[in-house]
Amino acid sequence: MIEIVNLSKWFGKFRVLDNINEVIRRSQVVVVCGPSGSGKSTLCKCLNGLEEFQEGDVIIDGISLKSPTTDLIKLRQRIGMVFQRFELYPHMSALENITLAPMKVKKLARGEAEKKSMALLERVGIPEQAKKYPGNLSGGQQQRVAIARALAMEPEIMLFDEPTSALDPEMIKEVLDVMIDLAKSGMTMIVVTHEMGFAKEVADEIIFMDQGRIIERATDKNFFANPQTERAKEFLNKILI
Amino acid sequence: MAFFDWKVIVENLPFLMRGLLTTFQLAVIAIGGGFILGVLVGMGRLSGRKYVYYPATVFVNFLRSIPLILVIFWFYFLVPILAGRPLGDFVSASIAFIIFEASYFAEIIRAGIQSIPKGQMQAAYSTGLNYRKTMGYVIIPQALKNMVPSLLTQSVIIFQDTSLAYVIGLKEFLRSATIVDAREVRSLELYTFVGIVYFLICYTMSLLTKRWEAKKGSAK
Repeated sequence: MIEIVNLSKWFGKFRVLDNINEVIRRSQVVVVCGPSGSGKSTLCKCLNGLEEFQEGDVIIDGISLKSPTTDLIKLRQRIGMVFQRFELYPHMSALENITLAPMKVKKLARGEAEKKSMALLERVGIPEQAKKYPGNLSGGQQQRVAIARALAMEPEIMLFDEPTSALDPEMIKEVLDVMIDLAKSGMTMIVVTHEMGFAKEVADEIIFMDQGRIIERATDKNFFANPQTERAKEFLNKILI
Repeated sequence: MAFFDWKVIVENLPFLMRGLLTTFQLAVIAIGGGFILGVLVGMGRLSGRKYVYYPATVFVNFLRSIPLILVIFWFYFLVPILAGRPLGDFVSASIAFIIFEASYFAEIIRAGIQSIPKGQMQAAYSTGLNYRKTMGYVIIPQALKNMVPSLLTQSVIIFQDTSLAYVIGLKEFLRSATIVDAREVRSLELYTFVGIVYFLICYTMSLLTKRWEAKKGSAK
């Protein structure tokens, strides 16, 4: 359902993405890893048009992101995204963060939007935090609210851009548990992360990126034990310590 | 002649207060109109469209580089030509103030919007909100909170600046005092009184601004 075709992107003269090709099918979970600056986050943001690209294309269910007639606003309603730094709206309660898009985009009535949002907060395990503001929540709780916010638009695809790398170690598990649940429920997911436990448990494919290129991909769970490229070996040695 | 004879103030108080009312009216129009135009120009300054960005930028940089008194004079002569008939000193002063102050408000608003992290915009976009809803529900409410002290400070400055409209004969507070002075020749009393009134109003507003900032600081 997601086709990435010869995708290339430059920041000025610097080539951040270099001819990326990838096909992601419905209900697949793809983990993207690699050193910082390898283009993982940029790739993630190209998939919902938050970043523009200069060459190639991303095709989602037959809709080309490159095409000038594509309504990006509408397409984004089908693609949820979770950010490294949560990006909750600080002036709204957890519940209001979740109900905003359903009410303003899908035009749901407040009552209905709140009912659905409470159900999502139950699903991520923090219904009791509904009335709190992001500033009064822990990092793990904030990220779980952010996941609920993305799910509120009932997306078919979820993008995760390093969802646990801004978290204290003791909070990583609570967020990963929610993501594992989501993966097992059949959500199509693209996850930029170095969490190998997560990758081992739910990833259908692991992509290793370096300098804007996909240099290794693995569909079996042996990637972490037996990387094929020197670059991936080197990288894994560093993060495994 | 007594050194300080406050009788002149008491006797002319209704006339002076009418002047003060005009000052307030002009200030409210300048702040309200300047703010609304400033929001549009400030957003124009952030636009990616060149035909929006450049006019907004020229507008801001030009007006911030010339004295207000010149703008007041200029519109005093320009407005009757554009309108085809004289519209009076209050209308031309109002237009001059709205346009001039919009250039200052625009920069406050631009800075306020830019103070919100880019990720907030991306988060709102990622849920399917369009530009207008993202600005309206996510960015501007946060930016306004950051802007309030600057907006209040600018409003205090505008309140003082309205006295410059006396050059085109508008009977605002200061002009009213000069009219009374021409008749009664009590310059020291009159200008001292005018100074005290301006001070009380502006200092009170400044204190409110400081209290807002303190409250905001402790809330964090």
